[in-house]
Amino acid sequence: MSAAPALADAALQVDNLRVCYAGLPAVDDVSLRVEPGQVAALIGETSSGKSSLALGVARLLPSSAVVTGRVTIAGADLAELPGREARRRRAGLVGYIAQDAMAALNPVLPVGRQIGELFRMHRGMSRADASRQAVRELARVRIDRPERVAGAYPHQLSGGMRQRVMIAMAMALSPPLLIADEPTTALDVSTQAEILHLVGELQAETGSGILWITHDMGVVAELADWIAVMYAGRIVEQGPADEVFDHPAHPYTEALLRTRRDLRTGRPGALLYQIEGSPPALSADRRGCAFAPRCPRRSEICDERPPDLTAVRPGGSPEAALPEAQVPTAPWLAACHHPEVSP
Amino acid sequence: MARTLIRRVAFGVIAVLGVAVLAFLLEFVVPGDPARAIAPRAQSAAVLENIRIQLHLNRPLIVQFLDYFGELFRGNLGTSYVQRQSVTSLIGPRLLTTGWLALAGVIAEVIIGGTLGILSTLYPRLRAAVAAVNLTFLALPQFVVGLVLLLIFGFRLHMAPVTGGAGPAEIVLPALTLGLVGAPWYSQIVADQMADSLSSAYVRTAVAKGLPDRYILWRHVLRNVLSPAITMIGMDLGAYLSGVVTVEVVFGWPGIGLLAVNSLQNLDRPVVMGTVIVGAIAVVLFNLIADVLRMYVDPRTREEPA
Repeated sequence: MSAAPALADAALQVDNLRVCYAGLPAVDDVSLRVEPGQVAALIGETSSGKSSLALGVARLLPSSAVVTGRVTIAGADLAELPGREARRRRAGLVGYIAQDAMAALNPVLPVGRQIGELFRMHRGMSRADASRQAVRELARVRIDRPERVAGAYPHQLSGGMRQRVMIAMAMALSPPLLIADEPTTALDVSTQAEILHLVGELQAETGSGILWITHDMGVVAELADWIAVMYAGRIVEQGPADEVFDHPAHPYTEALLRTRRDLRTGRPGALLYQIEGSPPALSADRRGCAFAPRCPRRSEICDERPPDLTAVRPGGSPEAALPEAQVPTAPWLAACHHPEVSP
Repeated sequence: MARTLIRRVAFGVIAVLGVAVLAFLLEFVVPGDPARAIAPRAQSAAVLENIRIQLHLNRPLIVQFLDYFGELFRGNLGTSYVQRQSVTSLIGPRLLTTGWLALAGVIAEVIIGGTLGILSTLYPRLRAAVAAVNLTFLALPQFVVGLVLLLIFGFRLHMAPVTGGAGPAEIVLPALTLGLVGAPWYSQIVADQMADSLSSAYVRTAVAKGLPDRYILWRHVLRNVLSPAITMIGMDLGAYLSGVVTVEVVFGWPGIGLLAVNSLQNLDRPVVMGTVIVGAIAVVLFNLIADVLRMYVDPRTREEPA
């Protein structure tokens, strides 16, 4: 998963995205970039706005959601196209891998047909050609005896197989961007590992950018090139995966990672670290930092005004000199009045 | 799948037999003397007794019961007391007549109900109007709807015959009556299933795949509405075939329902029994057919229950 040429279009470029339900922001002023061939992990607790962001990017939100801001996928802005055209283009631009493949596949159609549809609609293939192509797509996600699986209905497949089918479907038209909405959450651990491995291999073949939504830090450690941490609808920290993973600047990121570290090293019976309190409810006007009520570094300023996303450097202060090689190519940002970068 | 079917058929046979036994016993609980019904003006007790002997009505109940079911297993439904004609030959043509009406009625309710359901789902503005129509026809009894149709289209507009009969012109109003009264159920089922389907993750997947709206509606949404609709159609066909009594009476449609009513009035027990048994078979058969069709359209129902 190599870095992309600097001038190429990003797989995904999100600028100042807001998603509001009934006037309340679920996603608040989010900017994010995913390079081709890169996996950006979007992490955060349930209801932090991760899925709204993902669905907003793919323009799959219900019409009751108000979306503002700019989203370009491989240089194309779907919002600039008329509705029908946008919907047609989208399938070639972004593949969406849902969390629950059982629910996301139509129960009364054979899975091969559901993949073949894409080729009939978007490539003008005949029914026979489309079904042959569907079998090839199933083989591509390393499914044994793809001819047989193509004729199976979703309920006849195992959870891992269904998720492979979902992945085959999302990648069928080779979109430059994949959105994976916690695709391994419902799977057992060994199947999870297989799916992660598969996605890594496929990405190496296609060079798609991936926005991977998860709250599983193991997945992040395994796959991510870039980490974006969401809290209460905002990105509170984002940066290169190595940097953020080893030296989280935001107290929330640190807490999230600590839950993971405790799981890995914790002796049986040891108390796991948990973040006190729960995320705030959606609110239209919020003074101060959303994380402040749960934050160990809270001070007066935290209650007075929300922190801006600012550049972070290892060593704690922006002035700290770094050897040239260690300066991150993309900015590493955190939204905190008291960023502390552990060495 | 085969085992499921065999079990269903076995249950069906048991159900039909149960209905037959109950019907047989009921006839003897209901007061009335068939002999007097056959010869209402007979003065002497000897004449009546003679009739009873001829019809074996003088024998003990258990003997009559065994006689009847013995013949039934040979496929013989007996002879009408009144018409001196075998019950089978009486019911046969009327079953066909009722069959046409049942079929036309079900087609009408599927078209009317399905359209209402789809419209109210796709166009939220129509929802209140559709709900009002549904409620109206749910509340109106069949004979009222039938009489109103007859009044408007038959007597006022002279667009439909009012004399009774079983031709293609005569079928329109009774079928429409069945359709209007049955439509609310289909409308509701279609609307509920569509709403479920439209908000489902698989429809979101289909939208994400950039499939055209109309294709999603037909291939992904309505395919999932089919299964419960087929169950309803099977139930309705069976029920209507066993006699749409009120509609047949209102429109003078010479079907099984009319035959059953007349036979009940005449205490023509073999014919009543015949209509009950044929009706029970129709109900069982069409529910079975519906189950098989459902297995075809919904693969999840194909698996053997654990």
